[in-house]
Amino acid sequence: MATTITSTLETTTARIADADQPLLKVDGLSVTFFTPTGAVHAVRDASFEIKRGEVVGLVGESGCGKSTMAYAIMGYLPGEPEVGGAVYLDGQDMAELGPAELRALRGNRIAMVYQDPALALNPTMKVGLQVLEAISEHLDLDAAQAAERMVELIESVGLPDPERIAESYPHQLSGGQQQRIVIAMALACDPDLLLMDEPTTGLDVTTEATILDLVADLKGRVNAGILYVSHNLGVVARIADRVVVMYAGQTVEEAPVRDLFKDPRHPYTVGLLSCVPKPVADTGAVTRLQSIQGSVFPSAQADPGMCLFSDRCPMATDRCTGEAPHPASVSNSHESRCFYPDKVSTDLWDESVEREAPHENGKEPTLTVKGLHRVYGKWQRKYLFFGPKVKPPVRAVENVDFNVGAGRTVGIVGESGSGKSTVARSIVGLVPRDSGDVELRGEELPAEADNRNADQKGSLRMVFQNPTSSLNPKLPVRHNILRPLQKFTDMSPSEREERACELLESVGLDASYMDRQPLQLSGGQQQRVALAAAFAGDPELIVADEPVSALDVSVQAQVLNLLEDHQREKGTSYVFISHDLGVVRYVSDEILVLYAGHVAESGPAEDVLSTPSHPYTEALLSAAPVPDPDATPTPIRLGGSVPKQHEQFEGCFFASRCPRKLGDVCDNTPPPVQTSPGSPTHEIHCHIPLEELARLQDGSVATPAWSPLP
Amino acid sequence: MTRFLVRRISLIVVTLLVVSTAIFAITEILPGDVAQMVMGQGATEQNLKHIRETLGLDRPAPVRYLDWIGGVVRGDMGDSFVQKIPVTQVIAPRLANSLILAGFAFLVAVPSAVAIGVWMGVRQGSKTDHAVSVGSLVAISLPEFVTGVLLIIVFSSFLGWLPSSSAILPGTSPLTRPLILVLPTLTLTGVLFAYIMRMTRANVIEVLNTQYVRTAVLKGLPMRRVLLRHVVPNAMLPTISVIAVNMGWMLGGLIIVENVFAYPGLGQLLLTAINTRDVPLLQTLALIIAGTYALSNLVADLSYGALDPRIRLT
Repeated sequence: MATTITSTLETTTARIADADQPLLKVDGLSVTFFTPTGAVHAVRDASFEIKRGEVVGLVGESGCGKSTMAYAIMGYLPGEPEVGGAVYLDGQDMAELGPAELRALRGNRIAMVYQDPALALNPTMKVGLQVLEAISEHLDLDAAQAAERMVELIESVGLPDPERIAESYPHQLSGGQQQRIVIAMALACDPDLLLMDEPTTGLDVTTEATILDLVADLKGRVNAGILYVSHNLGVVARIADRVVVMYAGQTVEEAPVRDLFKDPRHPYTVGLLSCVPKPVADTGAVTRLQSIQGSVFPSAQADPGMCLFSDRCPMATDRCTGEAPHPASVSNSHESRCFYPDKVSTDLWDESVEREAPHENGKEPTLTVKGLHRVYGKWQRKYLFFGPKVKPPVRAVENVDFNVGAGRTVGIVGESGSGKSTVARSIVGLVPRDSGDVELRGEELPAEADNRNADQKGSLRMVFQNPTSSLNPKLPVRHNILRPLQKFTDMSPSEREERACELLESVGLDASYMDRQPLQLSGGQQQRVALAAAFAGDPELIVADEPVSALDVSVQAQVLNLLEDHQREKGTSYVFISHDLGVVRYVSDEILVLYAGHVAESGPAEDVLSTPSHPYTEALLSAAPVPDPDATPTPIRLGGSVPKQHEQFEGCFFASRCPRKLGDVCDNTPPPVQTSPGSPTHEIHCHIPLEELARLQDGSVATPAWSPLP
Repeated sequence: MTRFLVRRISLIVVTLLVVSTAIFAITEILPGDVAQMVMGQGATEQNLKHIRETLGLDRPAPVRYLDWIGGVVRGDMGDSFVQKIPVTQVIAPRLANSLILAGFAFLVAVPSAVAIGVWMGVRQGSKTDHAVSVGSLVAISLPEFVTGVLLIIVFSSFLGWLPSSSAILPGTSPLTRPLILVLPTLTLTGVLFAYIMRMTRANVIEVLNTQYVRTAVLKGLPMRRVLLRHVVPNAMLPTISVIAVNMGWMLGGLIIVENVFAYPGLGQLLLTAINTRDVPLLQTLALIIAGTYALSNLVADLSYGALDPRIRLT
């Protein structure tokens, strides 16, 4: 593939006029949008630089202006915002460019990769054509050369059989493949600057890992500066050379990646770092997660002339609330927008509150799930009611067993399509099961919620991923909490009112929130209201389906702590579903690893996450980004995605993607259940003997060969 | 695909059966019958009885219905009670006339509506956009008999440019006097144009706000190319179903327009068939109208499936 790409690379290098000049210089940038409800200060004061061949990570919570900044660099902002400061590309002030010059730059010298590749690609146009468009618009190539380059590009982003992929429509590709196409499109003209806006946020952790490998590979291959926007510190730690932290539209800290993670000099950075639970087996999490109280300084407020972080900062002084700090150099190439950078230390937030021990596993489990099966759809025949069977039903969950003890938490992990949500929904009766039992304290529950009595419904409550859509937006908070109290308790109206206030307080919201509308609340506040509503009937078990995935890390920590406090106090059991291994590790006593509707591994949390593990667990662990630039995860990568299970597996459910596949036995025989000698409840469904797995996974053995796609 | 066609075509057959039963039942319930209509008020009981016997109307209703259905299956639609010739012969020239009128209306309305809809979608919020929006709302709100009469007043009575009546001699084609087609076509076009234009405009606005259009703009493509390659094809997808529904709907408009302009098409014939209780003629016309509706919807789904790679018809 190399010829055309390298030749254009040489011309790229020739473009560099002044070696010392940064490729991109953002200088005091501010962006203010004017909306009917007032001015929104999306970016207030941002300054940083990107050099060629450098990956700069841009982190911060949502609402801090990260994406706006990326689009401001592109000169693509909706409406007619007021833009202050300047953006220079190779010394050229971008504001001076006319529309035609800007267009000549876009997709050519500056290219972008987007958060959701499924939405960023035109659904009715073949992907090859979409890549080709970017090439032929800017490069002076004839049709055959352009087509050749298109195929080379698709191949260069790790997609096998590029000719076939080029002929596909976006929906025929997996999320990871779609994102590779978007990246190929961005690379079409060998850009000088690549802007990546949360490019892996919508992807599964295993896919994310392969995309990050690709970005790391690009860094060595193309001579572009890369701005990598992400809310995920682990991702940034893995690929960035330098990191810029944004808070409330300001850049608050900038440092080389190691300095930032090991020696942060702004309290906000420290706060972000201490909120993240780490997906490591042996950090047995004895101390509580720290959280940054309050929320991001609202973008609707004008600059108050003080430190915008002061209201959430544990070390704020009168000076911080009376005067605005400016970025100041702390050491060579390390800047912080704090008056007291020397006082900042990594234990700033760490009050080292020890966690209370979880409840002991009692004799009688609260919830028992036995042999759960769930199939979606029916066999389809060629001619409606006649003819051969052409399409089998989808098996969502097959033979899943587990128990949840009183006051204990069972975490369920797995990629999308692994059947996590189906298990959750079957337990609460939102999805009827086809066979198997769900028992609450030994009593079998009807399959559908409609057939369960109020007591059974009140004992099993669910918390959903997205509180904005799970709370009724037309009804005030009051109703959302009073309703379950009315259904599941026999309190009088005044008692209910009182209890509702107590519940709100228990989730850290005062009684004044009772009459607010859900849409007036932030995502974290909404999720707390959802928790209060779930706690309302004093349930014995709460099924939480990705309850913190839509939340920022600081809010995530608050919600996790709330859940834990409630459990310790009331002895409530949890089924906690998440794709984030760190979160699951932090909250769970037992872990269930699901793959394609099958249990791959189950047992006590620390046993599941340490060796020996099922090869799938191992791959998940290896893929999970760790917020530590020194972490050296084993490069085990899974290609493709979870199979859509149209037919029962002959052999092992994981055989098609397993990096440690033995051979025919995996394809033909279902895996046996192996139990660790030391931990009788730790079960691994795999053909490989446990001693062999342990030996392979202790790192002494060469890493397995893997291909980006099977 | 086979599965899809099998299902849809069986459903269409069922629909047509239900429609024919319903029409038959309604003509039974309505007071008066074809004998009374043919003979007039002065007819003797003897005469009426004779006519009923010759037409087979003395048999019970279910028998007559099954008899008729039996004929339809064999391809025999029956004879008109009034004109005493096969229904197909009565309908054929009228159907041709109606198709000519509908075809013209379609050819004028659809391309212009799509073009203006795209333009207004892009110029959303401009003065032209507001003016066109108001105009199209007026067009939708006015029934055809009002627009038709207004057009006659302006273009025939006042300006005298075009004939007010579109009547032609039996056996001649309207194409020999194309001028008579102008006003009926314009009247039919009005509402059709407005619906399709508004739908296209709304879809263009929606597609302009999608992320893939942002991707196209940030690729550095010129606006014209973004519109033609990315916006219009995607905006047309939902518009197609609106066009198809409107095709069936246009038949309703035809009935009114043909009567306003005295144009000898299916609409006029339908009204005559109802007034004379000419059941075989009425049944056949009803089947044609219902069939057109069903087929246009099927065509819409098929073209949707052909144009949108995400849709798989099963």
